[in-house]
Amino acid sequence: MMQRLHSLPRDTRDTLFLLLVVACCIAPLVAHIPPWASVLGALLLLWRGALAWRLHPLPSRPVIWLLLLAVTGFTLASFRTIVGPDAGVTLVVMLLALKTLELRARRDAMVVFFLGFFTLLSNFLFSQALGVALMMLLALLGLLTALVNAHRPAGRPSLASSLAAAARMALLGAPIMLALFVFFPRFAPLWGVPGDDTTGRSGLSGQMSVGAIAQLALDDSVALRVRFHTPGGEPPPQSALYFRGPVLSAFNGRDWYALLQPEARTLGWAIPAPAELQVQGEPVRYEMTMEASRRPWLLTLDVPAEPPQLPQGMRAQMTPELQWVTLRPVTSVLRYEAASYLRFRHGPRERTPMLRPYLQLPPDSDPRTRALAQSMRAELGGGAQALVDAALQRLRSGGYRYTLEPGAYGQNTADTFWFDRKEGFCEHIASAFVVLMRALDIPARIVTGYQGGEMNPLDGYWTVRQSDAHAWTEVWMQERGWVRVDPTGAVAPGRIGTLQRLQAPRGAFGTALGAVISPSMLQRLRSVWEALDNRWTQWVLNYTQERQLDLLKRLGLRDPDWRDLVRVLGLLAAAAALAGAAWVLRERYRLDPWQRLMQELHRHLRRAHLALPEHLPARTMARHLREAAGADAEPLADWLLRLERARYGAAPEEASPAELRRALRRLPWGALRQPRRPGAARPENGG
Amino acid sequence: MSSVAAPHAWLAARWQRWWMARVPPGDQLRLTQRNIYILPTGAGWMLALTLLILLVASINFQLNLGYLLTFLLAGCAAVSTWVSHATLRGLQLVLAPPTPQFAGTSVRLQVQLINTRASGRHGIALSLRQPRLWSWTDVPPQGSAALELSFAPARRGLQAVPPLAIQTLYPMGLFRVWAWWRPKAQVLVYPQPEAACPPLPAGEPLAGQGGAASSSASSEHGGVRAYRRGDAQRLIVWKKAAQALASGSDALVSRDAQADQRSQLWLSLQATALRDTEAALSRLAAWVLQADRLGLSYGLRLGAVTVAQGSGAAQRERCLHALAVH
Repeated sequence: MMQRLHSLPRDTRDTLFLLLVVACCIAPLVAHIPPWASVLGALLLLWRGALAWRLHPLPSRPVIWLLLLAVTGFTLASFRTIVGPDAGVTLVVMLLALKTLELRARRDAMVVFFLGFFTLLSNFLFSQALGVALMMLLALLGLLTALVNAHRPAGRPSLASSLAAAARMALLGAPIMLALFVFFPRFAPLWGVPGDDTTGRSGLSGQMSVGAIAQLALDDSVALRVRFHTPGGEPPPQSALYFRGPVLSAFNGRDWYALLQPEARTLGWAIPAPAELQVQGEPVRYEMTMEASRRPWLLTLDVPAEPPQLPQGMRAQMTPELQWVTLRPVTSVLRYEAASYLRFRHGPRERTPMLRPYLQLPPDSDPRTRALAQSMRAELGGGAQALVDAALQRLRSGGYRYTLEPGAYGQNTADTFWFDRKEGFCEHIASAFVVLMRALDIPARIVTGYQGGEMNPLDGYWTVRQSDAHAWTEVWMQERGWVRVDPTGAVAPGRIGTLQRLQAPRGAFGTALGAVISPSMLQRLRSVWEALDNRWTQWVLNYTQERQLDLLKRLGLRDPDWRDLVRVLGLLAAAAALAGAAWVLRERYRLDPWQRLMQELHRHLRRAHLALPEHLPARTMARHLREAAGADAEPLADWLLRLERARYGAAPEEASPAELRRALRRLPWGALRQPRRPGAARPENGG
Repeated sequence: MSSVAAPHAWLAARWQRWWMARVPPGDQLRLTQRNIYILPTGAGWMLALTLLILLVASINFQLNLGYLLTFLLAGCAAVSTWVSHATLRGLQLVLAPPTPQFAGTSVRLQVQLINTRASGRHGIALSLRQPRLWSWTDVPPQGSAALELSFAPARRGLQAVPPLAIQTLYPMGLFRVWAWWRPKAQVLVYPQPEAACPPLPAGEPLAGQGGAASSSASSEHGGVRAYRRGDAQRLIVWKKAAQALASGSDALVSRDAQADQRSQLWLSLQATALRDTEAALSRLAAWVLQADRLGLSYGLRLGAVTVAQGSGAAQRERCLHALAVH
């Protein structure tokens, strides 16, 4: 097989390489395009590879048209449209895979390259993490290599040399890229970004089916990065690290909905009770970097009284349920400053009709939980605090277990949790708890968000992952308003207090890796990677217009705007043009050391009135000089023969140009000097 | 010129002529800033469009990585103009003097591409204006490469080598860098030898040997006879001998010194008995080749021009040259 690989015709080798690069461009998209597209794309590439391998002819045009039609049809069926980012990405990937079947002429190759560039970009729609960026850089280098290779039609150039040429070009192009990146004015989106498309995206959402956060718990990707502006960067106590996200109040028996969701309206929700926030003490200031969630919630530490400071063009407002939301979904990494009060009270102090929806339960649901509530009320009376304590006590001592793999829950999830399974994780527990509270006539709701996180010792950033996603509850109490109750803490105190997380079951790969590298080593490696990734996020992904203008301010401009950015770019371009012109001049006057040596020789000869035509080779010059000056010219002739040996001889120990120059200056020029007479040395060709 | 039917072609031809008049002719060409041109190709414009779309997408989705990708591509494209230009800049072209050819066959032009730079030059192509068939080569660092082009001369005689174009698309095919080259060398085109020509004309009696019998009776032309024992080696027609040996019979042929003395072979327009000059020249060319093949001594009379008796390669060249420029 290897031998076959080396004896392949050049065309086949180039095609296989290009297919490999195309596969690399598409691979990260597999998670984001429909399964049929992934499978079809892989099949098409394999087919094309097999055709190239066996030197078979390409499929005819009608076959390709048919495939194109089918692909468009599938896309339409999957997305109901062929425009818009998701359908567009699928279509671009499919076109790229299809175009390889048509790879005949140079023009077709160019189309593959351009589609390849689009595919690279579409990867960034889904993730701009450092890992993706590195992979795309590799794919880009691969595309450029194939492009360079395609423009070396003679012979069979090695791919390594094409790669070297491509890398050199990318390296030389990098300063241009940097200048443009830093100074190209950042504009607001030209047209609206399509809204909350939730397909295939992890993160919190405005809806929670019991059991859904289980996937999040296995997702190790970063959700937030926080840097606390407290003295020494010390975070608040870990038990206070509740990052508030969507509040889920509407319940249909299985699913919980935030009030922003359309489903909440069908469940009969009107205007909720106002937030009525009162804060105490000093706020904790921090800087939050939130990964793109495609949803409008801004995650904040419970609870800021003032809106977070957002980049220009974005505004946030507080909902009655104390979340901060923006008008547009967060589609890219977003950084904001906020100040949160850890001590606060919110919600109405007295029981108002507006609280009534927080008591709603679907009729006929969870009968056993309702029965439990009745018996608890009968036993303990109407004191809300006592009822909450009793419920928490039940969780602590009733044999309830915290697990990430509770299995599927059927109808009546609260009954299943309280009486049958007795195991689950935060969302089962919180859901069952709120159902019990509502059955007890205590207004209650679920709050989702993130709890805890970990500090990266390398850069002091506090990292909160998707696996830190959490659900807790809020119950309303007379005169105290809404009070946070985390029932998960009652089942698994470790989950909240010391932030020891349940280990997700490790796959075979993880186990094998763990055997080779110690866990602490893995932890350190991860810290390094996370720190790098964070630098990446802070420097590259967060480079906004604001920071551009900040940079200009630091460069000394008083009131910069985008026109100044354009001016800076113009200046840089002019400077580059000048540098280019200087380079051209330099190149024109630059001679190699041998030519310089010969020039010096001719200068000496002219001074000695022994001038010879400049094109003569050294040996001929030696002959002419011997004829013209006799024995006096012997050292000079010797020198010339030495020069010839050094220049053209095979032996490596010959004199270098520098040595020869020194020897040239030491030659007995005084004795050589001829009385001025024409034709001292006959110029003559040949020899 | 059908300027009405194809004003475009006519304009292109005019433009070409105007341009060519500005290229100084020479058998060596050093490509410099002054004679290299660069323009984007279709693919180059296509990339510009792609970059625009990528930029708009980056703006619209607020993708900083998209900006990075777009600008890196733009940077590469900008660098590629430089690389493309440098691929030709400083390259030395040398045209080997073209060897004379017969009309009807193609003239081969050998061009040496000399690179004094420490890095190689890739994807360089050379072509005639018509037909536009590019031959590609790479030139190694501090080395040279040879390319061969051929063209079919339209007529006989001494004529200029047609202009050559040299171009490269390296490295990304976004820019075409090219130069025109008008070689100074001229190529000599002999008349096309007549394919099936009649036998050589009879020799003429030597002046001053009055009364000698015409040698036309001799069965062997131009004083050649079978080898007899005792013939001096220098009399043996080795060319014929080689042919004979190759064909298996080892019949040697000697020059008949007697016949040589008796008559001289003169080729002339009159001897062809053709009125059309070109046809006559064709026949004469064929005769010259035939006489040369037989190793005969012959001379050529062409109006005012006379090529004295002689034989061998030099004689053949002299005669063919005279025929070509007649």
